[in-house]
Amino acid sequence: MSRCSRRVEETDVKKQTVLLVLLVLSVAGLFGANLPSRTVTVEYREFTGLETMDGNWSALYAASDGKVYVGLCNHGGDGHLAYYDPKTDRMHDGGNLTEAAGEALRRLGPQSKIHAKFGEGKDGRIYFGTQRGWWFNWARLGTKEGYPGFHWMAFDPKTNRIEDFGLGGLRDQSINTGAYDPLFNRIYGMASPRGHFVYYDVAKRKSVDKGRVSNWDSICRTLGIDREGNVYGSFGIGQVFKYDPRTDEIRELSVHIPLRQKGISLGRDYGKSETAWRVVAWDDKTSRFYGLDESAGLLFSFDPKAGKEGEVRQLGQMCAPGFENRRDIPFTNLGFALGRDRKLYYAASDHEFDHFNTPKWGNVYLITYNIDTGKMENLGAMVSKDGRRVYGMTAGDTGPDGTVYFVGVVEVKPQPGRPMVSGGKIDNIDYRLALVFYKPK
Amino acid sequence: MNRRIFAFTVVLSFLLASAGMGQGFRTTEYSSRMVSQVRIDLRDLGYPPIDVIPSDECAIRALAVSPGGALYGATSGTRSHLFVLFPENGYVQPLGFLQGVTTVHRSLVISKAGYVYIGTAKQVDNNGQGYEGYAGGHLLKYIPKNDESKPIRIDTPLDVTDLGIPIRGEAVYTLAIDRERDSIYGLSYPHGQFFSYDIAAAKFAVHGKVAENIMPGEKFENEKNISRALAVDDAGNVFCSGENGSIYRFDAEKRRLEKLKLTAPTVLGREPYNRVDAWAKDPSGIFYGGTSDGYLFRLNPKTLEMDNLGKPLNQYRIRGLVIAPNDKLYGIGGDDDEPARLFSYDPARGVYAMLGLIEVNRRPYYAWQAWVIDALAIGNDGTVYLGETERKSKLYLYYPEMERRKPAVSKTKGQ
Repeated sequence: MSRCSRRVEETDVKKQTVLLVLLVLSVAGLFGANLPSRTVTVEYREFTGLETMDGNWSALYAASDGKVYVGLCNHGGDGHLAYYDPKTDRMHDGGNLTEAAGEALRRLGPQSKIHAKFGEGKDGRIYFGTQRGWWFNWARLGTKEGYPGFHWMAFDPKTNRIEDFGLGGLRDQSINTGAYDPLFNRIYGMASPRGHFVYYDVAKRKSVDKGRVSNWDSICRTLGIDREGNVYGSFGIGQVFKYDPRTDEIRELSVHIPLRQKGISLGRDYGKSETAWRVVAWDDKTSRFYGLDESAGLLFSFDPKAGKEGEVRQLGQMCAPGFENRRDIPFTNLGFALGRDRKLYYAASDHEFDHFNTPKWGNVYLITYNIDTGKMENLGAMVSKDGRRVYGMTAGDTGPDGTVYFVGVVEVKPQPGRPMVSGGKIDNIDYRLALVFYKPK
Repeated sequence: MNRRIFAFTVVLSFLLASAGMGQGFRTTEYSSRMVSQVRIDLRDLGYPPIDVIPSDECAIRALAVSPGGALYGATSGTRSHLFVLFPENGYVQPLGFLQGVTTVHRSLVISKAGYVYIGTAKQVDNNGQGYEGYAGGHLLKYIPKNDESKPIRIDTPLDVTDLGIPIRGEAVYTLAIDRERDSIYGLSYPHGQFFSYDIAAAKFAVHGKVAENIMPGEKFENEKNISRALAVDDAGNVFCSGENGSIYRFDAEKRRLEKLKLTAPTVLGREPYNRVDAWAKDPSGIFYGGTSDGYLFRLNPKTLEMDNLGKPLNQYRIRGLVIAPNDKLYGIGGDDDEPARLFSYDPARGVYAMLGLIEVNRRPYYAWQAWVIDALAIGNDGTVYLGETERKSKLYLYYPEMERRKPAVSKTKGQ
């Protein structure tokens, strides 16, 4: 038994109850539920025809031609790839993932998500891997009705279709985390829940399983790729690993990213993943990765060439105002991007956000960090032009024109004579997913 | 119930029950799928994070307990290592790597004198690929000496004696030892030759094959059906399975391998694909076997009576079996693409118990789930050791209940 739990045992029951209720209420986000005075205006576009999509994680890519690709999740159903064309200001359904996988008639666990980052090939195709929806507490693992495993895929803008490269070969496993490298023309992934490092070599049409890197609870949420095609991620307590495509080997480096000290209980610690290397972006100018840890939004840089095995520096903390150094800081969102203006953009929620599992609708703040000057700035709570509440922000990227895109949720307001269609409810408020964008001045 | 406690419970339960699958959250319901967390723990293979048998070299595919109670294990990967755990210390001591060896598959046995014998291989269960030009797996001998006080050795070669190659061009697939008669028995891969090694005479002998033909299959399939485990009865006879799932016996007296009129249990028609995956012997000399199709059976080696005890899991393979001091059988099931699950079987009551998935959750210190377990051994004190077989692997310790469960008493009057 830990010292922490011994202390709790020794505490008077009444005090314990009061403390824990306060703690739960703070986690539930009762702080900051009102709109603060400082706001930043954003625009959004709903995913037309895809109203029932209920989530998005990480899957957002602003392509070189300006189109913005989004992976939409549908628990219990088929996920979709959608894309937005800023030139025509239109949203498109790029395809149903289960149908693209050829599994629509098989009545298996569907391809419900793209849960990882896309990438763009030299051929203009958008590459990715798929993920399951529900887990059924593992009751369907290895069963005939269970999830057959992830597929490697690409969306081809020329044909407007998803091309399926087939199953990745790991039954029950999903692409939890991913990245595409145009240099070696490979899609990389961390398969969940087994924590294997996998890739698909597009030219060779070959899926490779390099074996286990992590436990399920420490699968990093982003893979970073440097300009030489080396792939980086974290495992365990923030330790960095490197995959070298030239040797086809994974090395566990001695460097760690900064994390909050373990053993701080927020009431759900025994079963919650701690993904450490949460989001990262590669900066060509400094030849460094910039990223946030999951536990406390700790901003770090990682220079893979410095020292023997790279060098990590902590640069600060990106979080909603007032949460600095607080133990109840929400875990880090995936809405993070490196802008064309040398600024990192991070959409920081004021309590934990997880789509329809989010207990309270709150505010999401746009925080920037200037890589060149080291200045951190809070641009304010994000509000939409039409006055709807926006929240979440589970993916981020920057378009060629500098527009910073996120995927988040917007509230659905009843309209006379029209049925309410929503992807879910947060705090009893119907929401839909939306592509949110911010145009830096 | 106190109102505040009730309110707290409701709020917290809601949060726990609903918190996000997107964030890798597991509910208390999920925990009920796992082995009881007060009955399991794990050990890293060394002194982490640095002085530990590295990833890609640590898949445990062979475990054996010495007469003195020390657990020895051999790993597979880009290099094979030997390690030891002394129960009184409780930690894993890497003893060094085996030069030129990448695989030790169920081929670790310990003699009455405490000497450790290691059968080496290259990749096995790989459709018989890559054996052209292969010289053959070796039988190595390691003599433990003050292992308790040796420093951790990761990059130091283990000092072993090479006893030779049992079968030219073939790997050592599995080994068993007759401690009373100082004889080692083995099967080769990919062709299933049965061999013996007489320790005193230092001589190998080959006694025949358990499989002549590859299993019926598609054009690309090239595996023979070879037992993954051997069992030695009290008379020194050795049992295994072979082609068509047939049970073979090596008659120790006649020095002859013979096919018995017995088949490893499975559904009718699956016999050619089913093999013995694991054996255990109870104190009375009765064998229990697990098959690759996931069936448990009992075999009396004297009468050759065999009972199909059914299939404890809806998964393939029973990859390890041990009999604990509480007289129960503990087994691990699941193929490489299925999560490993532990079960027990009580021979007295004929009852299975599902013990769950293999996970250790000691947050915030450590947590790890095993997906593939390919080695099982039981310590002299009744601890069940489970060897994980993945790129990053741990050794698990399972503590069975020690008391025999009393027979259930009916509460219905007059019955």
